[in-house]
Amino acid sequence: MEKTTHFGFKDVATEEKQSLVRGVFDSVASKYDLMNDVLSFGAHRLWKHYTIASSNVKTGDKVLDIAGGTGDLARAFAMKVGDSGQVVLSDINAAMLNEGRKNLLNKGVSGVEFVQLSGEQIPFADNSFDCASIAFGLRNVTDKEQCIREMYRVLKPGGCLLILEFSKTDIALLEKFYNMYSFSVMPKLGKIIADDEQSYQYLAESIRKHPDQETLKKMVLDAGFGSCEYHNLSGGIVALHKGIKIN
Amino acid sequence: MMQKFQTVVLEKALNHLLDAQQIDIGALEGKILHFSLQDLPVEVNFICTNARIFVTSDGVEKVADVDIKLQFESFLALIRGEDLTDLLRQDKIMIHGDVKTAQLLVDLLQQVDFDFEEALSKWTGDIIAHEVGKVVKKFKDADNPLEAIKDEAVNLLIAPKRFH
Repeated sequence: MEKTTHFGFKDVATEEKQSLVRGVFDSVASKYDLMNDVLSFGAHRLWKHYTIASSNVKTGDKVLDIAGGTGDLARAFAMKVGDSGQVVLSDINAAMLNEGRKNLLNKGVSGVEFVQLSGEQIPFADNSFDCASIAFGLRNVTDKEQCIREMYRVLKPGGCLLILEFSKTDIALLEKFYNMYSFSVMPKLGKIIADDEQSYQYLAESIRKHPDQETLKKMVLDAGFGSCEYHNLSGGIVALHKGIKIN
Repeated sequence: MMQKFQTVVLEKALNHLLDAQQIDIGALEGKILHFSLQDLPVEVNFICTNARIFVTSDGVEKVADVDIKLQFESFLALIRGEDLTDLLRQDKIMIHGDVKTAQLLVDLLQQVDFDFEEALSKWTGDIIAHEVGKVVKKFKDADNPLEAIKDEAVNLLIAPKRFH
């Protein structure tokens, strides 16, 4: 019996999901940052700023940013770790990684390493990094538990995991507005600005299929992290899960 | 319970102080300390690892090495240099677990030379920092800081012009 997973609201063969997600990001890469600003009214910058503030990253640290795409977090981490530290910006999608490289070069950021990789098979040794982050990428990963286990493996003891992702709000009025906005407005804006309605339909659907705060927290603890707490942002529309690898 | 963002602020402040004053927390490596104030809504875990301190308000799977409960007044006394054993004898602190780990934390906090005004001025400018510093000093030196805060609040309500 063929193994299936979800791609938005559709069920697809597990092996097919990765190429479908690739198709989405090949399509949106060049307009990704603009669409983030438009769709979130700029709020994504605050969510990411909060993530950086919560990271406890310091000078000399080694940071791995997964599904780092256009380099928002990597740029901020590079400033924190300084010349004695190291930041690896990684993404499974070559088009997004190229946008990230362009962005960082245009902003004068040097010293960041660019690696194309899958979060499910991270090509770094055990206990390599002080911090591993993934922002708005985990919901696109086929095997999320495997990705979290890999992030655990490559973190040093005392290393910090950061998962920034869309989540579930329990404020009824906000949920109503958010559903209307996600399914009626976002795909239309995707069509007007990025000429791609389908990808933003997928965005809205994939958010609904992503685990809620408590489920994701349990996944992080099951992967071996000794501590995990989540911070609800914007009423729970976005959540930051912070895990610590404790020996 | 502390709000999550408050733990982020506390974590940043603590680690900034440790780095700025090059304080080595190696002796606390791997230790988890559960800390709560009985008269204020402060209940946190300090996770000391990888040469830094993480501050969380929940979600720790491992049992804490030590659980420390005290009043805010006793916490201030500790920071001012009072002996942990003396406070224990006077029942002003409750410790469950490894007392040595608690002592290590106290030693660390007593090492920190915290110029509150200097730290705050980076965010607010010198004048505001100085004014806030005066207020904080008044509370810290007071015999009963909570009563001092209440007194100031009452004074503000009665005679707000004093505070302009």
